Amino acid sequence: MKSLFQLSLLTLCLLQIEAVSAHAVVTDYSLKIAPIHANQAEKVELTFNSQVELGLSQIFLVRKGDQHELLKATKGQKNGLIIVEVPPLAPGDYAIRFKVFAADGHLTEDVIHFAVSQ
Amino acid sequence: MEAIADFLDSLVGGVDLVCYSLAIGSLFWGLFVLRPWCNNDGYTSALLDKTIALFYKGGFALAMIQLFKIILKIWMMTAILGKWPFPEFAETTQFTGGLIRTVLTLLLAGYAYLHLRKNPFSKQHWLIAGFIAIPMIVSGAWLVHAAGRFENQASLMTLTVAHQLAAAAWVGGVFQLVNIWFLRRHQLVPAELWPIMLKRFSVFGMASVAMILISGLPMALQYIDTWNGFIGTGYGNLLMVKIILLCMALGFAWLNRSAVLEFSASGNNHALNNRVPYYIEAETLVLVILLFTAASLASQPPSIDIPHLTAAWQEVLNTFAPRIPRTTSPTHEALIAGEAGRVAIVGQIPSPAATAWSDYNHNIAGIFLTTMSFIAMLSYMKRLPSAFSLFDRYLPLTKYWPFGFVALGIFLFFRSDAETWPLGPIGFWESTFNNGEVLQHRIATFLVLGLGVIELRARMTKDATSKLPFVFPILATFGGLMLLTHSHVGFQAKSAFLIQVGHTLMGVFSLVLASGRWLELKLDRPGKEIAGFVSVAALFQIGLILMFYREPLY
Repeated sequence: MKSLFQLSLLTLCLLQIEAVSAHAVVTDYSLKIAPIHANQAEKVELTFNSQVELGLSQIFLVRKGDQHELLKATKGQKNGLIIVEVPPLAPGDYAIRFKVFAADGHLTEDVIHFAVSQ
Repeated sequence: MEAIADFLDSLVGGVDLVCYSLAIGSLFWGLFVLRPWCNNDGYTSALLDKTIALFYKGGFALAMIQLFKIILKIWMMTAILGKWPFPEFAETTQFTGGLIRTVLTLLLAGYAYLHLRKNPFSKQHWLIAGFIAIPMIVSGAWLVHAAGRFENQASLMTLTVAHQLAAAAWVGGVFQLVNIWFLRRHQLVPAELWPIMLKRFSVFGMASVAMILISGLPMALQYIDTWNGFIGTGYGNLLMVKIILLCMALGFAWLNRSAVLEFSASGNNHALNNRVPYYIEAETLVLVILLFTAASLASQPPSIDIPHLTAAWQEVLNTFAPRIPRTTSPTHEALIAGEAGRVAIVGQIPSPAATAWSDYNHNIAGIFLTTMSFIAMLSYMKRLPSAFSLFDRYLPLTKYWPFGFVALGIFLFFRSDAETWPLGPIGFWESTFNNGEVLQHRIATFLVLGLGVIELRARMTKDATSKLPFVFPILATFGGLMLLTHSHVGFQAKSAFLIQVGHTLMGVFSLVLASGRWLELKLDRPGKEIAGFVSVAALFQIGLILMFYREPLY
């Protein structure tokens, strides 16, 4: 009975593995009001609801075909503000994908889609 | 490995709270309920040995879990970020706070093991243990998600610690009651102790619940600012589940208190000895799931932070609206053709075929479950209403309803993984051992098949001492636990939350299914039949949710 119980626990645990998820979320981002202009470097501001450990976080630019490029990010003056440096981009569809470690110990992955036009 | 690490992270949160409840709840039990130094109630050394053993074992387990959490974080960060997280991780609150808490917990458990265990009746030793516990309890404040917030950080951290403390007092007390019942059954404590402890804990339990509400309400108001935030986010949804589970646990607590009061008034101890222990077992089940739900809630973004991802209450209700189940499936070719576009990050193209495929799988599974649970409900009837009395002679056949699980298992085997044998080009063994997701589905299929066979045999057996019938409620509990603890969708698209809300409700019904079946196996009549019927009725509800399931196209 005991071993059956343990086996059941293990089996059910393995059945329920899902995607990474957690607590820190982007509550605001500059792309909403300031779109990226074609072929010029820009800075994108991401505001998180929680303190973010930047040394343990990664922010990527994702191009068509899901090609990833690691972006440089620094902390802003306000609480939760992260400034991301985006290289010059040709017109098209892109995404910013981030993996951030929040101060509460949770790792979050999320994606923000955006388009660059002439 | 990344997925396993993440899954373990959320599961470990629940285990952490259970161990915390065991350690701190046992300490509170000793200090405020048992009060061994009074020794007016015929305490035995066996009682004190067991009580303190639960205390230090819970403490050592908590220290191990705390350390494991740190190791798990390192593993997760290495897997997810693709790099060794040091030296950056060493500078985080999670690392230093986690290590400090591990050391403080070890100190507490060590004191209980080395000193309190040898002086169980000494008030001074219990008080010292209480003082040692204070820094350990306080250190936990830096490990809760309030620690990462910008507003009202200190008050939210304090409220969270108070909330955890009150919950630990209640849950740990219930663990101790189960312990006393076990000792009483083996005649290691006087029989009179059982009603005394039940009565004493009743008052203590009420105070704990009051504290849970007093500390929980301001936090809920701080994290949820609208009704839609309560109904239309993962955070609000899990809080609602916590409230439902709390009500269920309080229902059992009320039954226990009624039995104690009846005993005090009439001296009749039948309910006290033949029902209350099993109500407490069911209450324990509910409380443990409640702790896992609380751990899951702590990893959700508060509703107040995600107004743009909040669903309206009408959208949530619409998720459960009855509709014609989908009984036709798109072709396998159409499904495969849409997969590349569906999983792309940039230029994502929603796949109607994938959505329809998923709807079909859910709806057909729902038809299986509603049919078999309807037959299961009939199995509790001695005869049918007069208009259907013609079919009375078929009623004995209804006991074979678990065979439905076998049929469901066969259905899942064919439909779970469209890209593999027998539908897709990838071979059975190749897909099973080279793809983690397919392996999980194969195990699930095997489990459902096995569950059908086991439950069928369990209901057929004439052996009154067989343990086989308990497999079903145990598996149902874990199924419910997994459905409730994996609701991390608050930061995702609103549509993902709308998928999740149905799964969360199924988790609650799974728990009703499990506790109902557990009580059916333990209680005497008429409670036995009532609990059994409620159990399969919960399975019917799960079937309905699946039958009307519609995945949003995204």
